[in-house]
Amino acid sequence: MSVVISPTQTLRRSQLYRRHRQLGADFAQFGDSIAVDHYGDDEVSQARVLGLADLSTLPRIGFKGLGTPVWADSCGVKQPAQPNWATLQGDNTLVARLSSNELLLASNLTGSSKLIETLATATRAHRVYALPRGDSHSWLSLCGEQAANTLAKVCAIDFRAQYFTNLQIAQTSLAKINAVIVRTDIGDNLNYAIFSDSCSLEYLWDSLLDAMSEYRGRAIGLQALRDCATL
Amino acid sequence: MKVLICPLNGPRNISEFIYGGEYHPNPDHIEASSREWAEYVFFHRNVAGIVTEWWCHSASSYWFLAERNTLTDEILRTFNTDEIFNCRVEFSSRSNSEVPSG
Repeated sequence: MSVVISPTQTLRRSQLYRRHRQLGADFAQFGDSIAVDHYGDDEVSQARVLGLADLSTLPRIGFKGLGTPVWADSCGVKQPAQPNWATLQGDNTLVARLSSNELLLASNLTGSSKLIETLATATRAHRVYALPRGDSHSWLSLCGEQAANTLAKVCAIDFRAQYFTNLQIAQTSLAKINAVIVRTDIGDNLNYAIFSDSCSLEYLWDSLLDAMSEYRGRAIGLQALRDCATL
Repeated sequence: MKVLICPLNGPRNISEFIYGGEYHPNPDHIEASSREWAEYVFFHRNVAGIVTEWWCHSASSYWFLAERNTLTDEILRTFNTDEIFNCRVEFSSRSNSEVPSG
């Protein structure tokens, strides 16, 4: 008999866990995090058309300050050369450069990142300040061939694949709230990581699902994203 | 729709920005009189013409400066703050003997 995992059995939980339960989610452990594994069957097909996943319980952290680029470099972080670009580390940890002196790091889809763990406890250099991105920001993943069309309904930036390239970042207004949007394709599937104010997560989730309904989009679990990565 | 060009993020809808008031050079923090401080903190010159203003791109919390013609509402240019604030300002205090009493 399989063990049923509850989204409330750890201290860190998504603000959306009640909505996930209403949608019939099955939860699973990813690293130290508990997230939606799936809601229904064949979510990989859904992910290829249009899917929205909640990754808000997965690890992430940020740093800013004049000393950040040199310090991060000394810690082995591979950084993009320009602001508003991202790069992937060897273990697929995402490093987004939000300005000359600000970095946002988000874990891979296994829910664990040695780099984030190391940086979180590392001694910071002069003029390097940690940002609690795991607490301040939610993390959604909008994926599939209709993802850019969905974003066009709620945002002024042109996210179509031919104009907004992989690992490019837009810091802008999304459904009237501030968001950091990073294109991080998963395998050959179009994917946008959306980091936004955690206090507005329920609003943003509902707004995106509403915008997605035109394209038959729906919520998907983390397992579908992981399957896309391995296909 | 008005569009403002953020030096970090590029062209964005004006609704993504917050106006931060006129830019004024900092007064000398030791020598400035109370009158000069009051003018710096509370008064605006309200020029009819080209002014330099603080603006913030709220989605990235990025502060920058803009030159704007207040007669035509035309943005002439936007630029990073390090064009003006290009060295560290040390706010050293007077020695205790120099601090006026009362």
